[in-house]
Amino acid sequence: MNGLWLVADREIRTRIRTKGFLISLALSGLLVVALAFVPKLLSGQDSYEVAVVGAVPVAAADVTYTKYADEAGARKAVTDGAVDAALIDDQRVVSEGELDQRLGLLLESAHREGKIKASGLVITPLTVETGATAQYQSVRTGIATLLVMVLFFLLIYSAMYVAMGVVEEKGSRIVEILLAAVRPWQLLGGKIVGLGLLGLVNLAVVIGGGLIAATATGLATDFPPGMAGIVISTVVWFVLGYAFFSVLAAAFGSLVSRQEEVNSVLTPMTMTMTITYLVAYFAAVEPEGTLARVLSLVPPFSSMVMPVRTAATDVPIAEIVLSAALMVVATVAVLLAGARVYNRAVVRTGARVKLAEVLR
Amino acid sequence: MLEVQDLRKRFGDKVALDGVGFAVRPGEMFGFVGANGAGKTTTMRIVMGVLDADSGEVRLDGKPLTYDSRRRFGYMPEERGLYQKMKVAEQVEYFGRLHGLGKAAAHDAAGELIERLGLTGRRDDAVETLSLGNQQRVQLAVALVHSPSVLVLDEPFSGLDPIAVDALADVLKDRCSSGVPVVFSSHQLELVEQLCDSVGIISGGRMVAAGPVDELRATEGRTLLKVVVRGASPGWADDLTGEVTTDGDRQVLLIESGDDQEILRSAVNAGEVEHFGRQRPTLAEIFREAVA
Ligand SMILES: Nc1ncnc2c1ncn2[C@@H]1O[C@H](COP(=O)(O)OP(=O)(O)OP(=O)(O)O)[C@@H](O)[C@H]1O
Ligand SMILES: [Mg+2]
Repeated sequence: MNGLWLVADREIRTRIRTKGFLISLALSGLLVVALAFVPKLLSGQDSYEVAVVGAVPVAAADVTYTKYADEAGARKAVTDGAVDAALIDDQRVVSEGELDQRLGLLLESAHREGKIKASGLVITPLTVETGATAQYQSVRTGIATLLVMVLFFLLIYSAMYVAMGVVEEKGSRIVEILLAAVRPWQLLGGKIVGLGLLGLVNLAVVIGGGLIAATATGLATDFPPGMAGIVISTVVWFVLGYAFFSVLAAAFGSLVSRQEEVNSVLTPMTMTMTITYLVAYFAAVEPEGTLARVLSLVPPFSSMVMPVRTAATDVPIAEIVLSAALMVVATVAVLLAGARVYNRAVVRTGARVKLAEVLR
Repeated sequence: MLEVQDLRKRFGDKVALDGVGFAVRPGEMFGFVGANGAGKTTTMRIVMGVLDADSGEVRLDGKPLTYDSRRRFGYMPEERGLYQKMKVAEQVEYFGRLHGLGKAAAHDAAGELIERLGLTGRRDDAVETLSLGNQQRVQLAVALVHSPSVLVLDEPFSGLDPIAVDALADVLKDRCSSGVPVVFSSHQLELVEQLCDSVGIISGGRMVAAGPVDELRATEGRTLLKVVVRGASPGWADDLTGEVTTDGDRQVLLIESGDDQEILRSAVNAGEVEHFGRQRPTLAEIFREAVA
């Protein structure tokens, strides 16, 4: 075990000193913080100023009326941007550019209300009742979409580093003296654990940064009640997905001896990850679709689809447990096969080793 | 004692090792020589467990090698490999720790070796900034840092300058005299002759000769009679089988066979005898003959 920790320790020290790591850490952190501000920027205005000439209409929520003596004055206020629109004689609305959609609706309903009142008719407004979770739907979809990106980025990035590390050691032949000192599983395990811990640090920065920024912008008040659960499930699924894909990356990586060959030998893995990403993206928008429901149970797709579904909707506990169990089984299977491939291929330098040859 | 017993190994149709065996006693320095492609590296990789033999065995003190006994070996592979971006001292220390040394012990051992191998000024430089010979010194330090119980070095001297050769030879002699069996391969036969107690000559995957250097020189190859005569008339030695070289008025004869007393008498008659004696073959000569 000691050997594994020594290897992990070296991986962390080496990696943490590189520019690439610091940049990816900073970028991913900044990205979520920036995204936390987007809803605020997109939500548009929440109060309006309207110039009124002639009769003042019925009061409308979020709208302040200012009386103007004549139409020319009101039009000038609109052009100057002092008001958002002008209402002339309770008949015409003047605005600079397109009228804000919400303001239009507000003025329209105030107008109708005034007319109805004048006719003596009394209307009781509709009362609306929503389910407990419905009000969070859009926020949950937003969080899930963000999660897809973060998980995909971190998984592919970390797995790629594992593969590159394996090839570096094989290509430089240092693996021959490393294996004279530690067992293959210690060398492979140390690398995976070390780089995985750094991946978790990156994930923590993303989640932490996102939560802090959301609190600062007030977005956090819209968060659904199960936020802690979403965070925990994300971390757990990241660990499972990382274990699966990093072992796969190491096994494929050990087949080649040169960095230039890494991309091509990893293609099957990156393809799988990309498909997983696309499905997970789809699941964020339509978490109850058949595709999302089925693939959230099938490893390795489940590693991204399930956390995303969990964030987007309420998934029955039984499904989550089943999905996690299947993923663990798949990870163990990949670990056994991957370690076998790695053990045999990593000292066979030179031409690319055929997978079938080392799996036998 | 390190015993290599009847190793066989084939790569596809190609037989790389065809019954290789030798033994190295504690405190013995064993030189492993052979032509390119003879099987030295393959043998050493099997000893280190990098390759598996098809059959045959390697034993240490009578017991088959295990992972734990190999872990105390020091190994320098033919294809050098280091972390290029890691600093010299850090790297040597890291390998010390991987081989089971504590933090402080690894630090001290690394410092001492770096000094002995003349790398003191470079200890905090990345390996990739070192010249090839200096990288090789780091590679040696990595192989030696954990005070190995057995040393297996594949061409450790190639690429080193004479100063570094001496430094390495000193370190190896040191380790050897503390009871460690040392095996190294080399194409520098004079060096092997000078350093080693025993040598093994491998050719085409088979051992063609193995044993103490002195014994090999006495038994293997041809022992020639060397006669140096001055002022002799040309032609006096025409009857003898051998090789004659003339240097001024001096004739040097290397004679393969004949009655030595008879030869001495005719040499004395022919001129002034400067040298008369048996010349044992050098390792290089034994080697050429053995692999021919
Ligand atoms: N991985 C391999 N695949 C196929 N053949 C191999 C492999 N490794 C070694 N051989 C063959 O085995 C034989 C012995 O090679 P080896 O490297 O042991 O020779 P060597 O004595 O170390 O030579 P050198 O002095 O050139 O280092 C050679 O014929 C070589 O071609
Ligand atoms: Mg060799």
